[in-house]
Amino acid sequence: MHDLNPTDVSKETDVPVDTRNDATAKAADKAESTAKAEAKAASKARRSKLFADLAPLIGLAVLAIAFVVVGTSSGTNMSYALETLINQSVIIVIIATGAIFIFAMGSFDISLGASTLVAAMVAGLVHNATGSLWLMLGAAVLTAVVTSLISATLAAVFNLPVFVTTVAMLSVLGAVASALVQTTGGAQIRVDRSFAREYDTLTVKLIVAAVFIALCVFLFNYTRLGRVEKLIGGNPITAKLTGVSMKLTAIAAFGIAGLGVGLGAFLTVLRTPTLTVTSASDIGMNILVAMVFGGMVISGGPRSRIYAAIIGGISMALLNQTMAIMLQGMAGGAGIAQMVRAVLFLAVVWLAASGFRTKVLPR
Amino acid sequence: MGSFMQRTTGTLIIPVGVFAVVWALAAIDGASLFSSGDSLLILARTTAVTMLTTMALAINLNSGRFDFSLGAMALASSTIGAHIAITYGGGFPAMAAITLVAGALLGAFSGFLYTTLRISPLVSSLGVTLLYEGFAFTITGGANISFTQYPELVSFGKSLTAMIAVIIVALFAVYMVFDRSRFGSDYRSLITGQSAAVSAGVKEKGNAIRTYAVSGALMGMVGLIQASSKGLIEAGSINFSTIGIMFTAFLPMFVGGYIGRFSNDKLGYLLGALSMSVIGLGYSALRMTSAEQSLITALLLVAFLIFLSNEERVTRWWRRMKAGKGAAPSEPTSLESVGAGAR
Repeated sequence: MHDLNPTDVSKETDVPVDTRNDATAKAADKAESTAKAEAKAASKARRSKLFADLAPLIGLAVLAIAFVVVGTSSGTNMSYALETLINQSVIIVIIATGAIFIFAMGSFDISLGASTLVAAMVAGLVHNATGSLWLMLGAAVLTAVVTSLISATLAAVFNLPVFVTTVAMLSVLGAVASALVQTTGGAQIRVDRSFAREYDTLTVKLIVAAVFIALCVFLFNYTRLGRVEKLIGGNPITAKLTGVSMKLTAIAAFGIAGLGVGLGAFLTVLRTPTLTVTSASDIGMNILVAMVFGGMVISGGPRSRIYAAIIGGISMALLNQTMAIMLQGMAGGAGIAQMVRAVLFLAVVWLAASGFRTKVLPR
Repeated sequence: MGSFMQRTTGTLIIPVGVFAVVWALAAIDGASLFSSGDSLLILARTTAVTMLTTMALAINLNSGRFDFSLGAMALASSTIGAHIAITYGGGFPAMAAITLVAGALLGAFSGFLYTTLRISPLVSSLGVTLLYEGFAFTITGGANISFTQYPELVSFGKSLTAMIAVIIVALFAVYMVFDRSRFGSDYRSLITGQSAAVSAGVKEKGNAIRTYAVSGALMGMVGLIQASSKGLIEAGSINFSTIGIMFTAFLPMFVGGYIGRFSNDKLGYLLGALSMSVIGLGYSALRMTSAEQSLITALLLVAFLIFLSNEERVTRWWRRMKAGKGAAPSEPTSLESVGAGAR
């Protein structure tokens, strides 16, 4: 027997050597093709996720183009339309940006609209009693933060599901709003219209929005609070085992959301100085729609984005304005506009979820 | 499950207790729960509407699917039914049949959207709510549908016999569908182990669509009852103004879930709805304002949730008190068992 090495074998016995080389080559080819397929799949998944992340931005761009095209072709006063657009979106954007701190944890607050109304009513009453803008602002913020913290504390102390606690708060706040209105002896709380007009300016709104959004972006993206919230939303058990205080984090999140609600309530009083129990009734749900439209994942977690509220809020306002121009004077136009809004909302959410589907249905 | 006595006591303690407390409060105030001739009808109708809504909410929420579109389905289905019955005739039977079928189809479409788009059911239901509200608004041009000229369409909601029949038939149907059928068996396996059930061959998509269809049919019935009792459909309701009805179902749902531990959750939903209706009669007897009613209902909800969430702790505390050893802390009971899965 020769003590063969592969080189010797190649010289003396061709057949077995070729077979071994073929097998090695085939295995190498197979490994290469598997690696290529995996790389292709990974690349596809990356593209899909990138597209999903960009879907809300694409939606915003398309809606902005549609708004400009429809507005200019119909002879609409675009500067006025733009002002209306900012007026429509700024309150939603502020409240929704604060609410992202709650939603990032996978929690859900349905009482934000009612909380806005109560804070606005208290602010209106304080203004009527003192005539002070700053006290009015302070009352709005304080009421909203306290209201928000009551929900958080109830849920934290008694181990209640946050969502159901906020459902109960919705009823309580509705009752409080009715009681507040009754204190005036009428069906509404009125703030001096000329005073409100003086401060209901784009400058005031944009300053309030810019300061609050900057604070939220800083807290969410550059502090431990934001990271912890995303961790809780992504995996609450891991968060707990890591030593994160779930209760304190929840209270902080609700506090920030309350601050947003307070500022939104302050701007609501300036915008709508006559408050009734139905004022701000659609704000709660529109906040939710705006956040989701902007790419916020309803289950929270690491995919939560603080800018989702800004993109979504502006997108919704653009869509509302475009539809209002297109369906002006048409019978049932508001119904058609709402149906279009629904279809676009579902389409954007579907695209935004395209890179993250699982075998089983999402819950 | 304990003995028959324990099960009976657990099943009846809440409705009987609620009735006793409300009756006593009314008696102290010198009022009667059944002072007017319509009191029984109101009790039966409120019970029917609350039970149907609770079932419609619970059958999806038990599977982790939150549905904001219940009110919109009731509105859209009753608008379709009334619009066709008024335009083409057929009277109440036509309106009832079309409303129920429309409710089931709207529910199935909602389920189809959710299963096809594969997005969060809560988010999907937001889109569906906007869609169905907009649809109802578009059908009537935003105007309400009034039955002033069609008295035959309003008799159903004003009949005590009809309301009792609705309760019995709906309870029996939902019990058979979810507790006594292959579909129901698959439904429960998906609740307890979604991935395992799907791996074992359960068709999750079809099951979800059919569950949504049942939910839609139940809400169609709610729409029919409300339309015929009020004589009016507020078809101009948009911007999420239909979601309020869903919140009336939370407390009966939790009560139903609690009662379900001792007997059956469907029976629990009926008894929970009945308890809420008795409380409603109490509100009227005590002449409470709507704000006071909302406040008390919310406090009851919170109190009941606190009890459920800390039941084990309360029980241990009670046992120790009886033994004279003082209270001891314990882990809270999960609310998942009574359908409070949402964080």
